[in-house]
Amino acid sequence: MKWQRKDILGLEDMSVEDIRHILHTAKVMKEILMRPIKKLPTLKGKSVVNVFYEASTRTRTSFEMAAKVLGADTSSIAIAQSSVVKGESLYDTAKTIQAMRADLVILRHPSSGSAKFLADILAPGVINAGDGQHEHPTQALLDIFTMEENMGDLEGKNVVIVGDVLHSRVARSNAWGLQKLGVNVTLVGPPTLLPVEMEVLGVKMSHDLNSALPGADVVMALRLQLERQKSGLFPSLREYSQLYGLTTERLKKTGKQSIVLHPGPMNRGVEISDDVADGVQALIEKQVTNGVAIRMALIYLLIGGSGNVVA
Amino acid sequence: MWWLKDVWVIDPSQKLSAPRDVLVKDGKVLAISDSMTQEDVLAKAQGESFETIDGKGKFIFPGLIDVHTHLREPGQENKEDISSGSRAAVRGGFTTILAMANTQPVIDSRALVEFVRRQGERAGYAHVLPIGTVTKGMQGTELVEMATMKEGGVIAFSDDGKNIQNAEVMRLALEYAKLTGLLIISHCEDKDLAGEGQMRRGVTSARMGLKGIPASAESVIVARDLSLAEETGGKLHLAHISTTESVKLIRRAKERGVDVTAEVNPHHLIFCDEEVGITDTFLKVNPPLGSEADREALIKGLCDGTLDMIATDHAPHTQAEKTRPFAEAPFGIASLETALSAVWQYLVLPGRISLDRVIEAWSCSPAQRFGLQGGSLVPGAPADMILFDPDFSELIEPATLVSKARNTPFLNKTLQGFPVMVWVEGRLVQRDRKVL
Repeated sequence: MKWQRKDILGLEDMSVEDIRHILHTAKVMKEILMRPIKKLPTLKGKSVVNVFYEASTRTRTSFEMAAKVLGADTSSIAIAQSSVVKGESLYDTAKTIQAMRADLVILRHPSSGSAKFLADILAPGVINAGDGQHEHPTQALLDIFTMEENMGDLEGKNVVIVGDVLHSRVARSNAWGLQKLGVNVTLVGPPTLLPVEMEVLGVKMSHDLNSALPGADVVMALRLQLERQKSGLFPSLREYSQLYGLTTERLKKTGKQSIVLHPGPMNRGVEISDDVADGVQALIEKQVTNGVAIRMALIYLLIGGSGNVVA
Repeated sequence: MWWLKDVWVIDPSQKLSAPRDVLVKDGKVLAISDSMTQEDVLAKAQGESFETIDGKGKFIFPGLIDVHTHLREPGQENKEDISSGSRAAVRGGFTTILAMANTQPVIDSRALVEFVRRQGERAGYAHVLPIGTVTKGMQGTELVEMATMKEGGVIAFSDDGKNIQNAEVMRLALEYAKLTGLLIISHCEDKDLAGEGQMRRGVTSARMGLKGIPASAESVIVARDLSLAEETGGKLHLAHISTTESVKLIRRAKERGVDVTAEVNPHHLIFCDEEVGITDTFLKVNPPLGSEADREALIKGLCDGTLDMIATDHAPHTQAEKTRPFAEAPFGIASLETALSAVWQYLVLPGRISLDRVIEAWSCSPAQRFGLQGGSLVPGAPADMILFDPDFSELIEPATLVSKARNTPFLNKTLQGFPVMVWVEGRLVQRDRKVL
């Protein structure tokens, strides 16, 4: 297929063909990543700039490693030490980066739509590394990659995503992407964090985790932002964890050897218990490894030059 | 003197909608009649020279009165000032505009009221009339010196932009304002329900991951303020009504005889939340655009008189402020120069609302309710009036806008139906779309 995208902004408007092409490319990238000497000259002379307006360990490092394995030069703008604290707007910051001849910009920003805002302004490509509560496409792609790696074709499989769905870009991107691949998705959370308007995602919704679990091939726990308790969105961590926490006991309700995913960082003992997090069903570390492969694939596809097809 | 020949006159204040000849002299409407001969006009001119305008295919109506504009002066003249705002007004067909009080500083004293009035007179375009705050510093606690501010020329009181959250303060304001006979204008927004919301709460906000403002953020305050107005007998005006539930509440309150009027903004009659894209900050407005059902309820409410007035809520902002991610851009649409054309094109032409009702709601009713000059072309009335060409179309572009602001959803689009001549007290202030 011919790759034509300049940017990766979200999975809502991505075609199944593009998703499959990315997953296929990531498979090759993972083989490269697993080599003892993992360095390619492919993107020598290309520059990738990480612009992170929110704290991030794994996503930012993952993008940096992905770019470096492919031979690109990477720079990072740490917002705390940048002109942003002097009041520079995202528009001006973006123009400045463009003027430095960046080939690709990776953006993490607290405002929904900021990645599209940037992509509309910039000539170089933009990868959305999480925009507000909108989308986190690379996370969803690595989740999907991890699922496929473990159980093959996802068509007809059942995935339960539990937690603070309303505020979750991970849940939105996964819901869009998984549906396109024929997966039955069920979102689970309390009514305050899974309000009725989330029906817009077109998937099943439930407020009762126990009744949603039977038959689930994958259970994905979302990170709970602890400060949401102060806004009154849930009464206590104790009750939240009792109703929606993923425990060994509860996981048995799937009736299958289901796999457990978490986008990290985890609140152990809140949305996921220690024994589940460290158990054999949890693929959380694999997710991290696959994250690098997915990001290698995307960077390669966006700035890898003509063809953009790996053998 | 002006002789407007063969022009269609719409003046709901005298139930007139017919082709007429209109004479304007000494700043006033001199005569309106079926037809006039050169001799009639010469006799009435009494030696004064006059210009004859062929009005065939065009409309004359009383100049629009906008009871809700933000002119940003004093304090935020980078967005707009009273001069640029009043020029934008006459370019858009408004001969009187009410300036909201949420400037920097806020208009909470007689001196500031007089400043706004004076700046409007200095500019010399539309009549600029000041709205004062309800509470000192718009802090929502102590009432302003309403009687003193009335002596300075204040027209109404509003903490618009910041709702009075304390119901007792609102109740006292409705009581105390009786001393002045002036209206209290409610901003109709519960601060806690609105929260950090960026657009109407619904499937569109959920899809884009933008924080939502529930419709109840407006209707709970509408219900509260209607109760308070009913109990006190105070005079209430509700700003920028945008939800179905609010329309229902107002309709029932009017049936009970509550002394209330309400306004609706053109953008709430034209757009709905589904049309808002994730980078469309020019459609980011407060109250936010509602659902398609809300839009229909508002049009119905305006047609049946539940909603008394149209008002722009002209909210100018700089391009830099609007060129930001959605959540970081300020709320507001600049609309003085496009509102009438937009209403003509999107609502009158498709037959959703009659032109007569539009003029009644945008000129006659505001004049009556707020006790203002204008809103009528009866002989002897000040000649605040506009000549409207329904066929004139124009590309809305930065170069031709006289407002300092460009935050309009119609930028780089063509609209049809514009005022091509505007008079304020008989003085021509806009001709062929150019402010004179």
